[in-house]
Amino acid sequence: MQEFLLILKGDGMNHLSPNELQGILEDYKSWVGELGEDYLGGQRLEENGALLRSKNDAILTDGPFLESKEIIAGFFLIQAKNQKEANAIALSSPHLGLYSIEVRPIAFPKMS
Amino acid sequence: MDFRSKQIVERLFRTEYGKLLATLTKLFGPSHIQLAEDMVQETLISALSSWSTGEIPANPTGWLVQVAKRKALNEIKRKHMMLRHHHIHISSHNSVEDIDAFFLDDEIKDSQLRMIFTCCHPALDKKSQIALILKTLCGFGVKEVAKALLSTESTMNKRLYRAKEKIRKAETPFIIPQGNELMEKLDTVGLSLYLLFNEGYNATDGESVIKKELCLEAIRLAKLLVDRYQDDHKLNALLALMCFHTARFDARIDDKGTIILFEDQDRSLWNKDLIHIGMGYLKKSLHDTGISAYHVEARIAAEHCLSSSFKETDWQVIHDHYLLLQKLKPNPIIQLNLAIIQSKLQGVKKSLSLLENITKNDDLKGYYLLPVTQGVFHMKLQDYRKARVFLEKSLTMGPSRKEIAFIQDKIKECKKMLPKD
Repeated sequence: MQEFLLILKGDGMNHLSPNELQGILEDYKSWVGELGEDYLGGQRLEENGALLRSKNDAILTDGPFLESKEIIAGFFLIQAKNQKEANAIALSSPHLGLYSIEVRPIAFPKMS
Repeated sequence: MDFRSKQIVERLFRTEYGKLLATLTKLFGPSHIQLAEDMVQETLISALSSWSTGEIPANPTGWLVQVAKRKALNEIKRKHMMLRHHHIHISSHNSVEDIDAFFLDDEIKDSQLRMIFTCCHPALDKKSQIALILKTLCGFGVKEVAKALLSTESTMNKRLYRAKEKIRKAETPFIIPQGNELMEKLDTVGLSLYLLFNEGYNATDGESVIKKELCLEAIRLAKLLVDRYQDDHKLNALLALMCFHTARFDARIDDKGTIILFEDQDRSLWNKDLIHIGMGYLKKSLHDTGISAYHVEARIAAEHCLSSSFKETDWQVIHDHYLLLQKLKPNPIIQLNLAIIQSKLQGVKKSLSLLENITKNDDLKGYYLLPVTQGVFHMKLQDYRKARVFLEKSLTMGPSRKEIAFIQDKIKECKKMLPKD
C-alpha cells in the first residue's frame, strides 16, 4: 500500500447554494465511509494565510495570492495499491467537478 | 463507521444561512452584506467538510453559530488591524461576550426584521427587493433566485450586485424604523412580501416545488412581521390571505403537473390546518380603522376555503367582495373575474356577453385568459365550434407551458365533439 495526497484546487463550493451544500453532505459522507480504512485524513484550508517566496522578499499575507482555480482548497490523505487505484478513488470523489484534484504519491513509503 | 447515523433536518443550511447572515450584517453593517455572505458561506462549507469526514454534531445549529462567531471575531481583529490604518472602525464589538449577545434567539429575529426593511430599501425596484429577500433572508443561491424569478443566473448576479451597491452607497443604517416612518415602511414591506408570494402562487411556469417554497417563505417572513406588529391589521390580513391560498396549493396541479381548474379541484387536498390558521389571522385583521385590499382578497379566499364544494359557494358574497376590491384596487383582471362570477349568478350566457364587452378593454386585449374563459364557457353551452376558435386564439397570446398543455387538452375535447371535417 502506498499513501497518496489528493490536492483539491479551486473555489467550486463558494458558488453552491446552502441547499446544494446540504444536498451533497450525504454524498461526501458516503464517499469517506466507502473508503473505510483507506481514508487516512483530510483538511480544508482557509483562503488567507501567507506567501513566502524568498528570504529577501517582503512576506505577502492575507491572500488569496493565486487565481481562484489554482487555490488549494484542501487535501485528503488516502492509501491505495498504486497510482491507478488512487486515481480511481479521486475519480469517484464527489469533490471532482467542484474542484480539480491532483493525485500525488507520498515520496517515502512508511517503513512497516 | 456508521456514516448515516445522524440526519440533519431538511433545509437546515438554508434556514441557518438566513439567520446567520442577518446577524452578521447587524454586526458588520449593511454596507458589508457581501462580507457577511462570504463568511456564512465559509461557515457552511466548514460544516460540510467537518461533518462529512466525522460525526454530525448533536446540535448542528449550535455548531454553525460557534464557527460563525469565531469567523466574525477573526474578521473583526483582522479588519481592526487594517482599518485602524484608515482611521475607520467597522465595529466596536470585539469581545466574545459582545458577539455572543448578537446570537441570542430574540436578537436573531430582530436582525432578520432589520434585514427585511433593508431589502425593501426605497432605492431598489420591487424585483430587486424580492431577489434580495430571497438571497439574504431565505438562503436561496443566485441560481435558485434566478430560477424562481424566471431569469438567468448572470442577470440575477448583476441585479443582486447592483442592489447591494445601492444599499452600500445609501449608507442605510441597519435599523427598524419607528413612528410614522414605520407605518409607511410596513406598507412597502407588506407589498414586497405580497409580490413575493404572487411570484410563487401565480406563475404557472417553473418548478412547482420552488414556487411553493416562495409562498412558504413569504408566509414565514410575514409571520415574523405579524409576531412583532401584532396589531397591524393590514399585515394580519395579508398573512391570512397567504394562508388561504397556500392551503389550496397542492390541489391546483395533478401528478403530471397539469393545471386543475378551480371547480374540479379535490377539496380534500386542501390543507385544513392552514385554513384554520388563516381564519385566526383574518379575525385579528378586523379593525374599525377600515379595510385594505388584502382584507377583501383574504375574505374572498376565505369564502372559497370554507365552502364545502364548488356548488355550495356563495357567489353573491364573492361578487360583492370583488366589487369592493374593484374600488380599492382598480384592476382589469378584477373585471374579468366579475364577469366570470356572473356565470354563477345569472348564467353562462350573461357572462359571455359581459366577457364580449371586456374584449374592448385595451388592458385585457392581449390577455390569453380572456379567450380561454370564453372558450371554456362556450364548451359549457356545447358550442364546440366557437369554443375551439377562442381556445386556438388564446394559444397565440403567450400562455405558459403548463397552460398551453391545458388549452390543448380542451381543444382536443372540442374536436372529439365536433363532426369530422
